[in-house]
Amino acid sequence: MAERGSVAMEEHERVGHHSHVGRYVVVWAALLVLTLATWALSRLHLPGGWAIFVALLIASSKGALVALFFMHLWDQTGANRLVFMTSLVFVALLILIVLSDNSTRFRLANPPGSEGALPFAPTDYSMGAAKEPGPSTGQGAPLPR
Amino acid sequence: MSSASAGEVAATSYLAHHFESLEKQQHAARLGMWVFLATEVLLFAALFAGYSVYRYLFHEAFVESSRGLQTWIGLVNTIVLVTSSFTVAMGLDRAGRGDGKGTRALFFVSVLLALLFLFFKYIEYSHHFETGELPGRFYRGEIAGSGPRLFFTLYFMITGLHGIHVIVGATILVVIGVRAGAGAYTPEYHVPVELAGLYWHLVDLIWIFVFPLIYLI
Repeated sequence: MAERGSVAMEEHERVGHHSHVGRYVVVWAALLVLTLATWALSRLHLPGGWAIFVALLIASSKGALVALFFMHLWDQTGANRLVFMTSLVFVALLILIVLSDNSTRFRLANPPGSEGALPFAPTDYSMGAAKEPGPSTGQGAPLPR
Repeated sequence: MSSASAGEVAATSYLAHHFESLEKQQHAARLGMWVFLATEVLLFAALFAGYSVYRYLFHEAFVESSRGLQTWIGLVNTIVLVTSSFTVAMGLDRAGRGDGKGTRALFFVSVLLALLFLFFKYIEYSHHFETGELPGRFYRGEIAGSGPRLFFTLYFMITGLHGIHVIVGATILVVIGVRAGAGAYTPEYHVPVELAGLYWHLVDLIWIFVFPLIYLI
């Protein structure tokens, strides 16, 4: 118990009393530079998967700066770090597993009209709301690709 | 510590009866806030998972739909939110020095930036309503197929949920800012200022991922 008390005290000392102004200014400047960098790099239209890779790399760096220094995760004790890191692990699990499911399906299972789907009778997703007056073939008639 | 007596007064008035000490109470409050923020991350993760699946399946349509967005609004809004996060962090620093009025001023600057963010969102949304770039079956745009319908469904779900968080966060900043200005907190106890800041930083953190994923495809 005494140990936990001292941990909380230590955390309080570190979070409460030191000036963080210099650190905040540096992080703010870095966030602005990275924001402009990701915008400029997106205009270069990097080939293949590089664009999304670079964009996510920069976004993750910015997110890490915000979480570590603005949100003081850097100064927190183990429990608080563990909680947030655990949620990030589950975000990665959710997205990676769902994506790998979709990218390894055989073509027939992909929804019609999407890339990699077999070119057969398209489904009309417009449900009649936005249908042009004219032939009743619906939105999907000429497949997008 | 010169403010030992003042600190003790604060400790006795802020301490809830079920905590042994103010330090443990603040530790518990921080942990509780981080657990809540973790659930917020998971809430958005579901939307981002949906986004990644449909971006994979309808890549061309997503690229084309994203090109119709005004990138400058996304860029300006990113700068606005990052700056508001910075002023909130500075407000926490003022609270740590016992300057409640400084905290109030900096939090109000952040709220003004939040309103600017929402104003740009309003411009953007009204443009989408005019051009018919709407979710699902309400889509009246020019791109064929179900790709753009899914893109704008996810676009409105993600930016809309984020916009609700901006409104909630700005409200919290107003309440805590007013209380800080009225002298409700001390250098020893200002954990509500800290937690309000944490919420606002999370709103910023999520937008940092929304910007490249929605606007910069």
